[in-house]
Amino acid sequence: MTKKVLVVDDDPDVRLFSTAVIEENGFNPIEAENGEEGMQLLKLEKPDLVILDVLMPRESGVRMFRQIKTNPKFAKIPVIILSGITKKSFLRSQKALTEFGGAEVPEPENYLEKPVEPEELAAAIKSALS
Amino acid sequence: MDIKKLLFVTKFNDLCFDALQSILTLRKASLNHVVFVNVIQREKVAMHRGLGYQKIEEIRLRETANIRFIDWAENLFEQGLEVGVYIVVGNLVTQVFEATRKEGADLIVIGRSQKHFLDQLYSGSNIIELIRRTAVPVFVYKPMPDKIDFLDKPFQRPLLAIDWSAASLRAEEYLRPLTGVVQQVHVIHVVQEKDLKSDSAMSIQKFRKDTRKKLERICDQMAGVGIDARAHVYIGETVKEIERAARECQATMIVMGSSSKANWVQRWLGSVPQAIAEKSDFPALIVPPVMAPETK
Repeated sequence: MTKKVLVVDDDPDVRLFSTAVIEENGFNPIEAENGEEGMQLLKLEKPDLVILDVLMPRESGVRMFRQIKTNPKFAKIPVIILSGITKKSFLRSQKALTEFGGAEVPEPENYLEKPVEPEELAAAIKSALS
Repeated sequence: MDIKKLLFVTKFNDLCFDALQSILTLRKASLNHVVFVNVIQREKVAMHRGLGYQKIEEIRLRETANIRFIDWAENLFEQGLEVGVYIVVGNLVTQVFEATRKEGADLIVIGRSQKHFLDQLYSGSNIIELIRRTAVPVFVYKPMPDKIDFLDKPFQRPLLAIDWSAASLRAEEYLRPLTGVVQQVHVIHVVQEKDLKSDSAMSIQKFRKDTRKKLERICDQMAGVGIDARAHVYIGETVKEIERAARECQATMIVMGSSSKANWVQRWLGSVPQAIAEKSDFPALIVPPVMAPETK
């Protein structure tokens, strides 16, 4: 069965780019505009991989990542962060939330800073799904 | 009425990161989510004869805003805050209203440009339009004069102007959960001189005493949640006296309910909240009545 990849990004251009790369590599893309919608689709579609932006309306990637990694049902789904926010800031934000009483979360499986080349994204997807 | 989520509406020349930093004291209450909003005015990218829609200009403006927001967001994420962003093309009021609705924000923060008259007129009218259309309180941030350094924490010592309307009483309710952020509140009611046209000193004194008593009741409610509050009765022209009281009490901002005047009256004749929001040197928090016309 074709593996499903959930793309969560508020920028339609980035979603278009990511879904094109996913399809070209033989996978099935699913799209969400923000973390809230992303979580709904995650529960519904049970994707094999999540490509997640950080800065989005309604619910950011920081919170969605936390929800994925702290829920035993989803914790094993690999997550690639694709964002303009630096990896250092993302990890610091997770650390801050842990310090405020949240659960400890692992690092994402891969972290790509925007903009990204199609080959780079394709390699990250293949590696995460292998 | 906790302030958990605020919308920070910026054109970048009116409201920058230092403004946001000063409002982040609200974290001591319950703020945990900041949503940045930048509205690209339609005129900047609109169709021009021979050029068509200026898509390249739109991309440039979006990316400029995005670069700034990413920088601000990194700072806030690292402090454990949740951050969101909207960069949209359109009418400022409509887009802010829409983002407020989508996000369920508890407070809108908007700047008042002091560049020049036309700009002020433009942003000023936007502010009033926004206040008119939303049920969410609007905080009008003002650039602080250098000599007034105590204004760097606007929520520290607000002046609450009460006119006994539902909106002004809601403003009091809005301040009450801010224990730990608000240190002291000066509660003021301005009596118009025409209300004192009585034939005896006794009745004037009684009027003052009754007003004061009502204000003291509000102060007691504040004291009940640990906020020190002082009552003041001022006499004269409302806007001038509120401004005067704010200076005399060294208030850090003015809080008041929005006008209950009909829209057309407010547009043509103005209102006290409008004057305070647009003309006062003090930052202003304008709280609408619960049932705002378009948010329900």
